[in-house]
Amino acid sequence: MKSKKLSEAIIKTFKNNGFVLSEPNVLLDSEYIIERSGEKFRASMLTFNREDGKTMCLRPDLTVASCISFLQKKTSSKIYYSGQAYRRSSGKGTNFINDQLGIEILGSKNIVKDDFKVISTILNSAKKIKMKKIKIKVGDISLFKSLINALEMPERWKLRLIRHFWKPGYFNELLKRLENNTDIDAVTFDADKKRFYEMKKFNQDKVIAGRSISEILKRFNKKIKDPRSFADGKKIVKIIKAFLKINCKLLKLDKELLNFAKKNNLKVNIFKNFKSIQNLKKLNQDIIFVTNFGRDVEYYTGIVFEVFSGTKEIASGGRYDDLLKSLGAKKSIPAVGAAINLKNI
Amino acid sequence: MNDLITIGLPSKGRLKEKSLSFFSDSGLRVIQSEKERNYFGTIENKPNIKIIFLHAKEIIHRLGDGTLDIGVSGLDLLKESDKNLQDKISIQKKLNFGNANLVIAVPDDWIDVQTIADLEEVSFDIRSKRNTRLRVATKYPNLTNDFLISKGVTQYKLISSLGATETYPFIGSSEIITDITSTGKTLADNNLRALKDGLILSTRACLLIAKKKTAKLQPFIKIL
Repeated sequence: MKSKKLSEAIIKTFKNNGFVLSEPNVLLDSEYIIERSGEKFRASMLTFNREDGKTMCLRPDLTVASCISFLQKKTSSKIYYSGQAYRRSSGKGTNFINDQLGIEILGSKNIVKDDFKVISTILNSAKKIKMKKIKIKVGDISLFKSLINALEMPERWKLRLIRHFWKPGYFNELLKRLENNTDIDAVTFDADKKRFYEMKKFNQDKVIAGRSISEILKRFNKKIKDPRSFADGKKIVKIIKAFLKINCKLLKLDKELLNFAKKNNLKVNIFKNFKSIQNLKKLNQDIIFVTNFGRDVEYYTGIVFEVFSGTKEIASGGRYDDLLKSLGAKKSIPAVGAAINLKNI
Repeated sequence: MNDLITIGLPSKGRLKEKSLSFFSDSGLRVIQSEKERNYFGTIENKPNIKIIFLHAKEIIHRLGDGTLDIGVSGLDLLKESDKNLQDKISIQKKLNFGNANLVIAVPDDWIDVQTIADLEEVSFDIRSKRNTRLRVATKYPNLTNDFLISKGVTQYKLISSLGATETYPFIGSSEIITDITSTGKTLADNNLRALKDGLILSTRACLLIAKKKTAKLQPFIKIL
């Protein structure tokens, strides 16, 4: 099939599954994206200055652009998109233009049902265009969170590990420090204690560079009380590393997690929230579960998956429950989505 | 004239004076125009050398576009410039003046913030509580960005500043800053303090040459 025909066949499947076309703006406010997604995004955006001085960029990603459009109440919640996204990358000779074709359920109330809907729609469209030897790889970012919260270590370490899970390089650095029991800020606070007592007498609502005195003192106090180092670092790192090695058939996942918990003297019920993954058994597909997976995208929070045809990755996606809020939604709007990798079809 | 050499020197302050003495120490006396505000100069007994006094940042750009063959400027300004510009310039020698540090500084009274790790936590706090980003005011966006990202800080936004960056946290333009400091006095006088592990770059004046001209400049560089 020619690529245009392939896209048409895929889109037809999306429509038949109840997804409605979203046509987000091509031009977006650069500052808005940076404010929401961070400075490291700046280098990859294609930007220009408008006559009035405002910096605009070409939409770098259709998931983000569709979310913005959704927040402006321009679309319904169950959408598909088909279009181009524009991004710079450091690799030589890489293309600025990425054709993206995907689906999203924004405001997903029923996690198990919607995760299943997204994955099954992607699978149906892959079958429709006669992809062979289909395999699925799944993971779940929230399992890692459950593990960390079940381990005994200072709160600050827990938050740190969870925050940086999606950056494997820096994450490994953190593990090394944890292993050697060297906290990243083993600094004494005696010198500042005097100032602490002085500041306690100030008006606690006074703001210093955006932070109130009460906020500063509260964190200072918490910091001195939190242990600087603790003895179990090595043991904890061993557990985390063992967890990140789990790689098994979905059918064996229950047993595998149970074994893992027992072997490491953890409570057997720490991984309670993976109904969504187990529900995928209904797909009757060859599914592999991998813990060390889906770690390159900051916004994933739950299930993550890739669909393969032979060795080629033809689609990927996942759940991102915090993205819409970080893009400015007043309350948390859970979401899940996936995109077809047209290059590999 | 093919053997003409154009040298760019800083046009102001201590960097200018120190650059002049560096040349005279090598036996090259720089003669400035009699007109006080003229930007051109020569070197005694070296008719093939032209001196131009420029802003230190400008010197980097003019080395890149081939206007200058040699220049004296700060390592900080070179490292901050775009990569394709840096690729055209080589550091011939690090000089013994213009030493300073580019550091991350926070308000003195943020007593809970001593290290980058603290900053990383606070930036997440600000993000989750207010859905805004920690704002970092700087004249060095590139160096600041690379440094913060390498230290695992991601929840921030840069605010570009042209001067008096030290005021930014106290007038509501940013929460923290990065800036050049040599003695730390300006920071301290403005109620700011450098983080313990917040050194981004140790800078000093450098003798720079345009890579393309390297061969032509060899005989001259030997005297410096």
